[in-house]
Amino acid sequence: MTLLHAQARLRDAATGELLGGAELAGRVSEAAKELADLPSGVLFLRVGLDLTSVLRYLGAFEAGRAVALLDPAQDREVLDGLVARFRPAAVLGIDDEPAPGYSPDWVREDADGVAPHPDLAVMLPTSGSTGNPKFVRLSRSAILANADAIAEVLGIDENEVAPTSLPLHYSYGMSVLNSHLRQGATVLLEGSGVVARPFWDAVTRYGVTSLAGVPYHYEMLRRLRFDPAKYPTLRTLTQAGGKLRSDLISEFNDKMRAAGGQMFVMYGQTEAAPRMATVPSERLAEKVGSAGPALPGGTFAIRDEAGNEIAEAGVAGEVVYRGPNVMMGYAESEAELALGDETGGVLVTGDLGYLDADGFLYITGRLKRIGKVFGNRVNLDDLEQIVKGFGAAAAVPAGDKVVVFLDGAEKDTCKQAAKLLSETLHLHVTGFDVRPAEGFPQLPSGKIDYRSLEAQV
Amino acid sequence: MSLNDRLRGVFVDALQLDDSVDVENLKYRDIDEWDSVGHMALVAAIEDEFDVQFETEQVIDMSSFKVAVDMLKGFGAGE
Repeated sequence: MTLLHAQARLRDAATGELLGGAELAGRVSEAAKELADLPSGVLFLRVGLDLTSVLRYLGAFEAGRAVALLDPAQDREVLDGLVARFRPAAVLGIDDEPAPGYSPDWVREDADGVAPHPDLAVMLPTSGSTGNPKFVRLSRSAILANADAIAEVLGIDENEVAPTSLPLHYSYGMSVLNSHLRQGATVLLEGSGVVARPFWDAVTRYGVTSLAGVPYHYEMLRRLRFDPAKYPTLRTLTQAGGKLRSDLISEFNDKMRAAGGQMFVMYGQTEAAPRMATVPSERLAEKVGSAGPALPGGTFAIRDEAGNEIAEAGVAGEVVYRGPNVMMGYAESEAELALGDETGGVLVTGDLGYLDADGFLYITGRLKRIGKVFGNRVNLDDLEQIVKGFGAAAAVPAGDKVVVFLDGAEKDTCKQAAKLLSETLHLHVTGFDVRPAEGFPQLPSGKIDYRSLEAQV
Repeated sequence: MSLNDRLRGVFVDALQLDDSVDVENLKYRDIDEWDSVGHMALVAAIEDEFDVQFETEQVIDMSSFKVAVDMLKGFGAGE
């Protein structure tokens, strides 16, 4: 079982180089060989949108070496914390001063390390947790099952050309790469992003056929007055990473259909490798607001507060997903790399929602207080903790951002707090709207009335 | 206030830059703050400050502070 179909191709937009067939397979084998002499343990790969990074990822996958994908812009402090906790065999894609216990090229000097479980293929950081990130453990079979199911519902074949519009350490970005390579399609490695000229030049030059985006990408595309008529090869849009406003779903769906294309709205979590549901494009207009039916091979159930499954359509509860793509579990330390499957293919999502009579899922909220910042899940209680040095805080979700009310704060303090949140979570500072407040509305219980705060934003 | 000074102020506010940043020589993606997310915030802030509206092509071509200055001059802004 391999990620790489014989027809799969990688195009490097920076150089124009196209790698495919035996040449690509050879480069992946080379990358795999370079890993053979490393000590036991997981690999840390700081993965950028470049050929070297992708070849290393594929090399690790083909060599059967568990690899954790990390943000190349991650703070050194956070990386050092992860290195100390997981003792990776090596850190790839870094040319900084090595961490203690590592050689100048970042290979662990101590040969002894915990051998990762043989099923473990990829680890992804869970987004947004503070200071102490943990990893989602994904098996080889979960990655492949999800890549195939995604390809089936999106109709991906060898004629598709998908650009890397999302980072590869982000589960959605990884799945775009996997699902295309698996079907013999082309992945275009382009790092400048949808607001830059080189990206759109590459879309035209290399005949890009699809574009993947989280809600803020769609806000940008609207701002850019995106017109599919200008890009005759680009006929598929996919959206995941949080709920997109209904009016934007309709707007983009209408645009794409008018141009002979299609739009897919999807739902997932990193814990499911990541895709769980996709609305079939031809039903999107009648199912705006839905996350879609479960992917082939998966099922949804809704649980009530007592943990019983609700059979009735339209009744909300906690969303539970079952499928071959569910994670093995989490890892918070080196010892946990050796663990086998702990979930049995069942993912209790923490999302609240209901199924309609057609089996389409509708997400209505979260059990825990969670917000999304540009597609990244953040725990709102954690945000309040991070800024508590500036005063009492109350954080509420606001679309693709969060609003943090800071009691008795001045404008300058708010700015500093936003900066601290941005630096701690490594998310863009404009995702944190910190506002001064004079006390918070309270519930009769004395707790903060978050609903009333949400109504203010 | 000169066009450059006004625009520098917009960059500092929209991208929440430190005083140490050499704003006038800044290019897109030189710093973490000016990524795709920052770019959209920046474009919106420039449009507000100078009361202009950029075309799609201009938004994706605004790859540096200097390019932004030239575009604003093209609008006759800051004169």
